[in-house]
Amino acid sequence: MAEKLLEIKNLKQHFNVGKPNMVKAVDGISFDIYKGETLGLVGESGCGKSTTGRSIIRLYDATDGQVNYDGVNVHGKKSAKDLKAFNRKMQMIFQDPYASLNPRMTVADIIAEGIDIHGLVKTKKERMERVYELLETVGLNKEHANRYPHEFSGGQRQRIGIARALAVDPEFIIADEPISALDVSIQAQVVNLMKKLQREKGLTYLFIAHDLSMVKYISDRIGVMYFGKLVELAPANELYNNPIHPYTQSLLSAIPLPDPESERTRQRKAYDPAVHQYSDDEQLEMREVSPGHFVYCSEKEFKQYSVK
Amino acid sequence: MEKILEVKDLKVSFQTYGGQVQAVRGVSFDLHKGETLAIVGESGSGKSVTAQTLMKLIPMPPGKITGGQIMFNGEDIVKKTDKAMEKIRGKEMSMIFQDPMTSLNPTMKIGTQIMEGLIKHQKMAKADAKKRAIELLKLVGIPMPERRVNQYPHEFSGGMRQRAMIAIALAADPKLLIADEPTTALDVTIQAQILELMKALQGKLDTSIIFITHDLGVVANVADRVAVMYAGQIVEIGTVDEIFYDPRHPYTWGLLASMPSLENNDHDELAAIPGTPPDLTNPPVGDAFAARNKYALAIDYEEEPPMFQISETHFAKTWLLHPDAPNVEPPEAVQKRIRSLSSNFEKPVLVKEGK
Amino acid sequence: MMQIPNDKFKVVGTHLSDTEKISKPSLSFWKDVFIRFRKNKLAVFGLILLAILIFMAIFGPYMTEYDYKMTDLTNKNQAPSAEHWFGTDDLGRDVFTRTWEGARISIFIGVAAALIDLFIGVAWGGIAGYKGGRTDELMMRGADILSGIPYLLLVILLMVVLGQSLGTMIIAMTITGWINMSRIVRGQVLMLKSQEYVLASKTLGASTSRIMSKHLIPNSMGPILVTMTLTVPSAIFTEAYLGFLGLGLTPPLASWGTMANDGLPALRYYPWRLFFPATFICLTIFAFNVVGDGLRDALDPRMRK
Repeated sequence: MAEKLLEIKNLKQHFNVGKPNMVKAVDGISFDIYKGETLGLVGESGCGKSTTGRSIIRLYDATDGQVNYDGVNVHGKKSAKDLKAFNRKMQMIFQDPYASLNPRMTVADIIAEGIDIHGLVKTKKERMERVYELLETVGLNKEHANRYPHEFSGGQRQRIGIARALAVDPEFIIADEPISALDVSIQAQVVNLMKKLQREKGLTYLFIAHDLSMVKYISDRIGVMYFGKLVELAPANELYNNPIHPYTQSLLSAIPLPDPESERTRQRKAYDPAVHQYSDDEQLEMREVSPGHFVYCSEKEFKQYSVK
Repeated sequence: MEKILEVKDLKVSFQTYGGQVQAVRGVSFDLHKGETLAIVGESGSGKSVTAQTLMKLIPMPPGKITGGQIMFNGEDIVKKTDKAMEKIRGKEMSMIFQDPMTSLNPTMKIGTQIMEGLIKHQKMAKADAKKRAIELLKLVGIPMPERRVNQYPHEFSGGMRQRAMIAIALAADPKLLIADEPTTALDVTIQAQILELMKALQGKLDTSIIFITHDLGVVANVADRVAVMYAGQIVEIGTVDEIFYDPRHPYTWGLLASMPSLENNDHDELAAIPGTPPDLTNPPVGDAFAARNKYALAIDYEEEPPMFQISETHFAKTWLLHPDAPNVEPPEAVQKRIRSLSSNFEKPVLVKEGK
Repeated sequence: MMQIPNDKFKVVGTHLSDTEKISKPSLSFWKDVFIRFRKNKLAVFGLILLAILIFMAIFGPYMTEYDYKMTDLTNKNQAPSAEHWFGTDDLGRDVFTRTWEGARISIFIGVAAALIDLFIGVAWGGIAGYKGGRTDELMMRGADILSGIPYLLLVILLMVVLGQSLGTMIIAMTITGWINMSRIVRGQVLMLKSQEYVLASKTLGASTSRIMSKHLIPNSMGPILVTMTLTVPSAIFTEAYLGFLGLGLTPPLASWGTMANDGLPALRYYPWRLFFPATFICLTIFAFNVVGDGLRDALDPRMRK
């Protein structure tokens, strides 16, 4: 396989530590992201998938664990200069196209924010040229540069958000539910755009979502999260054709398909964590059931799963 | 089957600084007893405005019903006063909203919110209303209803809140339930539960449902009939099988093709519908979808297409069904779906205006 | 079936560039606010009133041949006339001139209070809200303690120590006047800092000062502006009230408060001496309040489409 770009080791993100309302949003997860791939991260609201993304990009200070980018721990102590350099490599696309653009700034200023912060251009003219170029990359045009966000539709805003992230020429983009607030036809536009950019610029994506059908389409590998833990990680097709963890099975069985006939007969599986019947002394961890297919399980379950 | 609702050529606009937004531009459909009609379309297509207009929930002004009729129980809703509407809302028609957090009053107990309608519309005594509230909570699958009835919305999870909303909506046994994206804010597993619940309740109570959503998977799951809306108009309407297995309007094709299917492995581009929906302050001349439609005909840019009838139940508003129109191949993803349906007429028939 | 020429049934495909066009005129936030503000007749009236008051404060004193401190004992306590438009006071000073001289002081005090709000209040609240945690706790408790000191007591103390002057009054306001603003800004910043556009700016590597000046403050401008327009009348009123209590400026300086105070004992015989300053206090406070209310309604995001 390709070389590792990102290595997440035992990442923990707890909120309100030491208080009675402590939340273990992310509770010790480990995975790798390879150069040029798209890793999908799915799970239901509150499972910690968005927190994982935000911890990786340092919007939160991780409680514990390591995030190694090109072999360097992102969460270690760093100088402001190193941090700035790191900010250029890793970028984020946000969920809510209405909240992710500052309503008081023009589209040009929004897109050029990264350019201004990092001083990437010398003259005003150069700056505008770069903005026009970015607008074109995401399928908008020059005339849009001086307008305000509220004048655009959701899909157009999301494309502006993508242009902003691209302005600093990142290598790795975390897309935090970039399509869940968009209409179906617009979702496809944004996903196609992201795929095109990946091909052209060799980007690596962490694609966080709850819409499993889109995630399957865009991702090479998919991780499933449940209550702060990664419960299954496998290549996209393998996960869909052969889900092993009972939670993954339940999640897959709940997706309604755009096909009335199969909908009439679809059987939904419910997930009950009690099904595992873990005893206290069992060691729970990610185990490789088949090549590249990891499941969070006990030793006993591992044997069962491997037989299948 | 008994018709409970008949909407004829409904038009709604909103007055804004930029001009008059024609949100709904001549929508007609009917609804039978015990049936679920799904209205699909993207945001701004007018699907929510249509639904809210049925209950006259749009703020007027800036909103205004500029034409058409809404016949419900043989009476025209459009002409009713606010006072008269109060008697209908919650009793004859109720609505479930997208966000169960903001549609429940956080300072009132769930039980009290259910009882409100019962006491107001059915003149029930308080004790009876409470008993009924507990029954309703049980009906919508909330465990321990005796205890839950005294709790506040923040003590309920998202899925439970939506169940409570459904209980409130069903309290007065309405003939028509309007569900405006009721599962969009929920997780897939919770969504599946709510959909199952709604179907089960419909079987029991024989309520008619208008289900507004943009998720075609959900449509396939719940709908008997489907209306596809674009730019304030219904562009195609038919039974769920007709829409999914024999779609005729290029916009419906676009919607179906832009969904990735779980089975296919190919990593080709998704057939997205390019561009952005039109601004309804100045709706384009001709077919509103033309500019985004790769099958657009020259006439689409000049004249609005009429409605053509494909079967007893299936209608589509596109020039492609005109006898002189060329035969076009729908996108590949759609071709895979198409089956020949025996109920179709030999040829599409033009629906005469003014019918 | 209708007759349509055959060539109309040719597939011509998409006109995509048309779909991305925005036909509405570009409307910036402030333009939008202005349009909504303009619809509020009362607020526009308030704004016109304010313009007149400010104009008179600037030019009023030059409209007569009198000076505000020029006494003329032969002409004392005269009723309004062509000679003395608002009459004269017990030292024969022209009330018209003194009223506009007083307006200058009142408006100066109002503007000073608004600026203190802007510089101290916005910075204090902004930093507390953005930093959060212990910093926030410390800064806001500090503000609480300051706001716990009885204002009148503080003013009297300062007057005793520093003497009665305009400067003292401004210092008194500086100590406590900004607290309300800092609370409002803190609330705004707390709400805004988790917005995705702020997070986006952070991931781009923006510094705290950039996030403050480009994102947080501009988006709090609505409430800041409304608070400022409501601070001005309250400062003017406070000055008048202190003047009325005899804690204000010393003669011959005129402020509306001290003029009202002077006029009060003569109310029964020479009512104009109280009437004019009191009327202008009311008018100014009224004007600022309706403008503030109008602004708040115009800025309210819930009314935005």
